[in-house]
Amino acid sequence: MDFTLSKEHEMARTLFRDFAEKEVKPLAQEVDETEEFPRGTVEKMAKLGFLGIPIPKEYGGQGCDPLTYAMCVEELSKVCGTTGVIVSAHTSLCCDPILTYGTEEQKQKYLVPLAKGEKLGAFGLTEPGAGTDAQGQQTKAVLDGDEWVLNGSKIFITNGKEADVYVIFAVTGVTEDKKGRKKKMISAFIVEKGTPGFSFGTKEKKMGIRGSSTYELIFTDCRIPKENLLGAEGKGFGIAMHTLDGGRIGIAAQALGLAEGALENTIAYVKERKQFGRAIGAFQNTQFQIADMATKVEAAQLLVYKAAMAKATQKVYSVEAAKAKLYAAEVAMEVTTKAVQLHGGYGYTREYDVERMMRDAKITEIYEGTSEVQRMVISGALLK
Amino acid sequence: MNLEEYKGVYVFAQQVDNVVSGIAYELIGKGKELAKDLGTEVTAVLIGSDVKGLADDLAAYGADKVIVVDDPELKEYRTEPYAHALASVIEKYKPEIMLVGATAIGRDLGPRVSARVHTGLTADCTQLEIGDFPLNPVPGQEQKHNQLLMTRPAFGGNTIATIACPNFRPQMATVRPGVMQKLPKVEGAKAVVEEFNPGFTPDNKYVEILDIVKSVVDTVDIMDAKILVSGGRGVGSPENFKLLDDLAEAIGGTVSCSRAVVDAGWKPKDLQVGQTGKTVRPNVYFAIGISGAIQHLAGMEESDLIIAINKDETAPIFDVADYGIVGDLNKIVPLLTQQIKAVKAQNK
Repeated sequence: MDFTLSKEHEMARTLFRDFAEKEVKPLAQEVDETEEFPRGTVEKMAKLGFLGIPIPKEYGGQGCDPLTYAMCVEELSKVCGTTGVIVSAHTSLCCDPILTYGTEEQKQKYLVPLAKGEKLGAFGLTEPGAGTDAQGQQTKAVLDGDEWVLNGSKIFITNGKEADVYVIFAVTGVTEDKKGRKKKMISAFIVEKGTPGFSFGTKEKKMGIRGSSTYELIFTDCRIPKENLLGAEGKGFGIAMHTLDGGRIGIAAQALGLAEGALENTIAYVKERKQFGRAIGAFQNTQFQIADMATKVEAAQLLVYKAAMAKATQKVYSVEAAKAKLYAAEVAMEVTTKAVQLHGGYGYTREYDVERMMRDAKITEIYEGTSEVQRMVISGALLK
Repeated sequence: MNLEEYKGVYVFAQQVDNVVSGIAYELIGKGKELAKDLGTEVTAVLIGSDVKGLADDLAAYGADKVIVVDDPELKEYRTEPYAHALASVIEKYKPEIMLVGATAIGRDLGPRVSARVHTGLTADCTQLEIGDFPLNPVPGQEQKHNQLLMTRPAFGGNTIATIACPNFRPQMATVRPGVMQKLPKVEGAKAVVEEFNPGFTPDNKYVEILDIVKSVVDTVDIMDAKILVSGGRGVGSPENFKLLDDLAEAIGGTVSCSRAVVDAGWKPKDLQVGQTGKTVRPNVYFAIGISGAIQHLAGMEESDLIIAINKDETAPIFDVADYGIVGDLNKIVPLLTQQIKAVKAQNK
């Protein structure tokens, strides 16, 4: 048991932090106001290898461990929640399933450019009628000769329209389980932007992470090559669930970063701000609030890092990932809310960063499995 | 009141601008059925100015007799002279049943007349039959036969009430237009006409009509529409909405749409049905090329009748549809439009 980070981890963290401070922080407010995807930042991150951190070097990645990747999302999210989730969705939800389930050809064709950052990735599972109940898919894929024909739509897709490569889930058949109940067979596919029949619908107007591009995907008789089936036919649901386990570590890291950023800003603010002739940090209420916030942030950090280590060293890490995401997201919500309070009226203005962090934090309790889903995963494992 | 004196089924034959309204023929059609059960006749009451020429039309649709009240005071509908005319007819001829169409005119006229002749009125009926009251014998209460049982939706259609008027005559009802069937027209029928004029003395109760405006409404608010023809992404293009426009025109409906259509820029936002659009409750809702996500269903599932057309038989819209067709809307919608036009032409 060792709680000190290795030299490599410390160096990586310094690199991420410098980049976040120099390149991301100055744009964070503008990205939020204009709701524009920070294309330039993504290109710079690609050059530095941020888009392939946990991917092996032979596939164009950096060959680092999941903890290094989690720290990258954490450091980016400290200054900009939008930038954090762009990296997380690309890495955890698109690169990871291709790395885990793809054939060698698929890895060479799709994973290499994704890991190098030449292309951006996204993940399409959610539908209007299938959110938490991911089995409720309506999108269909039918094999016609040597092509799959996709029909349906996906909503709330992070990196939508900006991404080049999409991992998409669709119903490819129906089976009966032992009790004779009908069950949908779901399969995973790799779909490229620009494929005829694949278009984009609504861009969502969101409360937070406003620079993150969240789109509806529409498939109308969209034909993709037979070899773009990812993993075995009918195994898509398992692929989606396994992918989300990893994705939850990324979102937990994003939530952690938001909480840390809000805490850092608040500590600086309460030292400067004076009322009644002294800094508000001199009041015991402020001190105790800060103490609680810092303690919760550290507890969240340990859970997130533990989950990242578990992904590196063991096959199954669902429960660790679920605990990390659940706790870090709820801490992010609480800490950012308190950060706004301690900033007083100024905290409610868009001139200060904490109101944006509070708006960004809320989504971490919802996407890649709501807090309620995480509780289902955790209790399900405990009450087997 | 001697109930035995009252005989016959009477219908108010509404006319506007000396054109008989369709509801008059519908009431005669229903009146014939009721009269047959009672072994009596149907009399139409035609009120207006210079309207005698319309009597034969009423006969052609089945009126055994037409009472015409013709007076210059009755040129346009006004509550007081019309109520005086119809109440006078009732007092003189003593009908057993008096039916009025539940139009804007009929809903104004019916209650006035019923109060004036001191009888009961059931409004906006959707079903009329002759039967016993009470429906099942109640000990200690006389069960009366050959009563008019008037059925109407109440509380916004959430309950159905059957109402009788056993102790007063005539039994009056206003009847919802479009519910009853008119009889096939018998060409060349001649009416048995009886003219009656109770005399009109204009007084301060007479309303003075300053102006009549006939507006042609281009866009109906979709929340007020009785029939909605709603299109989703499956319609394919803004141009293709013409199919829905044609259907809406044929059936007297209004076109609405799903959020996807608004997002694609094909239709304005005020036509959007759903959670973030408008909540509608039309009598008929056509869901065409709409998959039926819960966000859309929340805005229309209270519709009385839902008809879905979609090429995907597993689309969730079919879970709420009363009628559904699985197939290509480009083929189905024009056929449907054609059929509706044909049926409407027959009923002209």
